[in-house]
Amino acid sequence: MTGPYDDLSDEELGRRLAAELPRHAAPAHLSRAIRAALPARAPQRPWLAPTVAALATALLLLLVFMPMMSRVQPTDPTERLVRAVVSEHTRVLMWGVRHGDVVPATLPELSRETGVALTRSFIGDDQLTLVAAEPIYVDRRRGIAIHYRDTEGHLVSYMAVPGTGVAIPDRDRVQVDRFRPALVRDSGYATWLWRQGDVACVIVSDRVSDAELDTFKDHFKRLRAATEPLPAY
Amino acid sequence: MVASADFERDALAHLDALYNFALYLARNSAEAEDLVQETYLRAFRFSHRFEPGTHLRAWLFQILRNTFFTFYRIRDREAAVAEDGVPDWDVPMFHDAPDEDSKATETHTDLERAMQKLPEEFRTVLLLAEVEGLPLEEVARVMSCPVGTVKSRIFRAKERLRGFLRDYGK
Repeated sequence: MTGPYDDLSDEELGRRLAAELPRHAAPAHLSRAIRAALPARAPQRPWLAPTVAALATALLLLLVFMPMMSRVQPTDPTERLVRAVVSEHTRVLMWGVRHGDVVPATLPELSRETGVALTRSFIGDDQLTLVAAEPIYVDRRRGIAIHYRDTEGHLVSYMAVPGTGVAIPDRDRVQVDRFRPALVRDSGYATWLWRQGDVACVIVSDRVSDAELDTFKDHFKRLRAATEPLPAY
Repeated sequence: MVASADFERDALAHLDALYNFALYLARNSAEAEDLVQETYLRAFRFSHRFEPGTHLRAWLFQILRNTFFTFYRIRDREAAVAEDGVPDWDVPMFHDAPDEDSKATETHTDLERAMQKLPEEFRTVLLLAEVEGLPLEEVARVMSCPVGTVKSRIFRAKERLRGFLRDYGK
């Protein structure tokens, strides 16, 4: 006895499968269920993708070039020093000094660590209170910073570093008593800049307005008269 | 990620073919519906991975088969069914198969029963290559195997199918 599939070739069996194997259509409710389960499509905004891509590219470029931008330094050593000193002052304002309070008697000891010796130093009075002193490294120069706070709470930083290459700009000089320091404003801060021998000295404060200039002059007079830095080596 | 309206429309055009394939895999209409629904949800969710210009139907079959393995763990299931020695596939699977004349119904039943007795990889390869008419390269892609393996499986599947059908004819 032979059956209907006994002598089927592979090709014939394939044809019969295609022709005779029942095909089952999906029930109508399945299509509805699938459509209902689809997440809602947000309204099309053709401008959104290019805008986001452009913003992302700009942000990426900014991130890539930001380190280089920060390295763009003034070529003039004096401007570079002022900028570095202002950065150090800003850092202290934001984060505080690295070391704790300093006993005034230890200032000479500190000067040995900094490369700048203080034969005399201003340890504060009724207008300026000594807050802290610490070694600093600004514009590739090792030096000393002494921080004071005035009666209104403003931070005043005195910094002294080796003055190689630092020239006091004549156009910015201001007569204060018998001294003629330069008044340089940078990044929203005011600085007094002068040289004492081979040491460049800077006082930084946020008293930038003309109305506060007298107060800032007063700070300079007190510090300049009472502080005597010398290169330690 | 939300699929585009065009993609949804193109994908849903293959609903019947997917359901038919799912029914032969799952052997149960409710499970087949779940399987197809899950397949579409995955396809829409990952529509960005579909390469336009390639065979969308094959891509959908591949997702369906992978989903089937994930959800139903076919090997465990077949082993469990066979434990009592009376495999389910000896019972006609599709009681709602279209009624034509009695001889046609009998033939369909024989073919269906024989198909259901095949291991999954043989059943799938025949469904995709012979019933759905997919090129062998696409079948190979769906089944994640070389084309040579597909050809070999088709040959062996037909051998077995012929054997089952011969038994029914006795």
